[in-house]
Amino acid sequence: MTISPIIALFPEASFGAALNCVGIAQELRHMGATPVFICHPGFTGVFAEYGFKEYHLQETTPSGANEAEDYWQSFIRNQLSHFDLDPEAQLPTYVGPTWEAIVDTVEAVEEELATLLSRIKPDAILLDNVIMFPAIARAGCPWVRVVSCAETELPDANVPPYLSGLDPRDKAERQRFMKAYLKATDTAHRRYNSFRRLRGLEALPAGSFLESSNHLNLILAPKAVRYDRRVPLIEPRFVFLEGCVRSETRFDPPHFPVVDGPLIYMSFGSLGAIDTNLIERMIDVFETLPARFLINVGGFLEAYQRVPDNVILGSWFPQPSVVAQSALFIHHGGNNSYCEALYHGVPSLVMPYCWDGHDNAQRARATGTGHSIHRSNWTPEELKSTVLSMLQDVEMQERLKAISDAMKTAPGTSRAAAAVMDAVKSNVNVD
Amino acid sequence: MADTRRNARQNHLTLAQQIINISLERAMKTGDHLPEKTFSDVCGVSRTPIRAAFRLLEENNILYHREEEGYFLALSEPEALAQAARALEGMEHSLANRILSDRAERRIGDVQSVSALARKYNASRHSVLFALKILSQDGIATQLPGRAWAFQPMLDSPKSMDESLAFRLILEPQAILAPGFAVDSKKAGILRGQMQDFLSIKEGRITAAGFMRIDTEFHCFIAECSANRFARGTLLAHHRLRRATQKDTSVPDFRLRQSLEEHLGILDSLERNQFDIAADQMVLHLRRSRIRKPEAANRGIPPLIRRPRA
Repeated sequence: MTISPIIALFPEASFGAALNCVGIAQELRHMGATPVFICHPGFTGVFAEYGFKEYHLQETTPSGANEAEDYWQSFIRNQLSHFDLDPEAQLPTYVGPTWEAIVDTVEAVEEELATLLSRIKPDAILLDNVIMFPAIARAGCPWVRVVSCAETELPDANVPPYLSGLDPRDKAERQRFMKAYLKATDTAHRRYNSFRRLRGLEALPAGSFLESSNHLNLILAPKAVRYDRRVPLIEPRFVFLEGCVRSETRFDPPHFPVVDGPLIYMSFGSLGAIDTNLIERMIDVFETLPARFLINVGGFLEAYQRVPDNVILGSWFPQPSVVAQSALFIHHGGNNSYCEALYHGVPSLVMPYCWDGHDNAQRARATGTGHSIHRSNWTPEELKSTVLSMLQDVEMQERLKAISDAMKTAPGTSRAAAAVMDAVKSNVNVD
Repeated sequence: MADTRRNARQNHLTLAQQIINISLERAMKTGDHLPEKTFSDVCGVSRTPIRAAFRLLEENNILYHREEEGYFLALSEPEALAQAARALEGMEHSLANRILSDRAERRIGDVQSVSALARKYNASRHSVLFALKILSQDGIATQLPGRAWAFQPMLDSPKSMDESLAFRLILEPQAILAPGFAVDSKKAGILRGQMQDFLSIKEGRITAAGFMRIDTEFHCFIAECSANRFARGTLLAHHRLRRATQKDTSVPDFRLRQSLEEHLGILDSLERNQFDIAADQMVLHLRRSRIRKPEAANRGIPPLIRRPRA
């Protein structure tokens, strides 16, 4: 081991994982490690702006900016209606094809990833993804699995199936969903297992694309929303994190022409921002509410021409700093968003699009930390009354305040960084 | 005369907001003394306007005054100070500012008639025309043939900010390289002090608004030193537009500090008369600032970046 251990962080190409890893890397740096990032194309500079060295994977397909835009246009055209389906109906339309695309990525970057890792020579690798890259398992150093999706990603008899949005007590539906899930992912899974075998890794059981690490697994699931597992996940191999909130630039709310009312923040992530028609419908409702709204519209700001006085749109907000000042957070159920809301004691109104958004919507309802409604199938009156009732729900606010106080006594970022440093040290001792 | 008084008050309001931001950034507490000289140095103005701004803050119960001792902070909670800054912003809202603010938040469209704006703001046509003329001085609005006015593009989206940086990449290095570039040493010294003060602020406490202020001041300084009058005029107008409309709260603390270090490096080269190096440093600085997050990202899909790759 070097004096300052080199920790290579490899988040998937999504903001949730990327920014989750930034939070851990900031703490690792404070603890004397040298965190570096392996970036997917398109994320160049995202980590450098937080002061971290980047190593880049090259673009595969599509190759240029215009092609990427075409790809996204086609994605929006084809997928938007699928986001309105229930979790089971999304399996063949969205989940199956997404797993195919994820396996494509693993195959495409494998050689290059192995070359990069041999250059970096890390003391440990943090993989924040939903799939294993054989180059990581074969890099010759400990690797850490970061589960920044919902806890359902780690199966258990008492935990509902991943992406199902089911209640743990829905035993009959559980069987049906699992059968449909295995069918939807079968082709991608077979192909992935062939690739693993080719690269010297054992095949994984049906439906599984990522094994737990023998060294360390970090799970972003605060105690307040954790499931009661039949087979507990025991430390030090499994470490649960009470949120994983990065340090961000301070945010002073801008001036609204309307000065009264609580602040409500809405973000459906960069994926959710593509549905500009839905957000326009919501803005029409927000205009009638006695509150002020900050809305993250991602790269689509220019699609909006008439913004009411109590709404401010932005392409990007330093989310943790904004959530901390909000009375309500309307989001898509991304695990980072949900955990940031819990960390700051803010109720979540979850309007899930896909993936673990469904699981967190169920969890918010079950634990009294928020509510959920269908992402698009609502009337203006329903949306309005849901928002108003949540603003007045003192019991929920008090519950969340207690959760927030508890989470802030053991921030996930420092817990994660300490566990990584311990794993590196124990590996040196074993060697 | 009335205009002069109004402008002076606007300046005092701006300075008062700047003083609040500095108090926030330095985590000052209730009862802390605000020395005139320190704030005069940090803000780069003489003591007279600082005194006027202090009085304005006293009128609004943000500072209190003790005979023979000076001004002291009456508020210290960040939220209370931020609220006070917002209240001052509200005072500052002349009609021109209200129109600009609404335009920046996409509350009014690209082309507007004077009568439509008069109806919207319940103001006279004369007041609206006066406001539009103020905005036209900063290149924000332009009168079209007839009675309509067109608003210029604003720096309110990733695409427009990228276009702005592409434009500045063409012009700012050339403004430095144009023969006759003359460094105003006194102003350079003030700017250097202000940026070093910013760098001494605790991690995570630099505000986006505070950074924007110092950033535009630095780049305006570069333009003002240029001997090419067209480059100077065009860049100054563009930086005024940036200051008035650019919304960018996304820059992490590390990059804010790196930017300030880059500014200081450019100043070093300029003061050594190494203009070629300063121009190259400016290219590097603007290229780094141009790196943007992908506009959309999701597992299994290549991230979306919509901009030319220069």
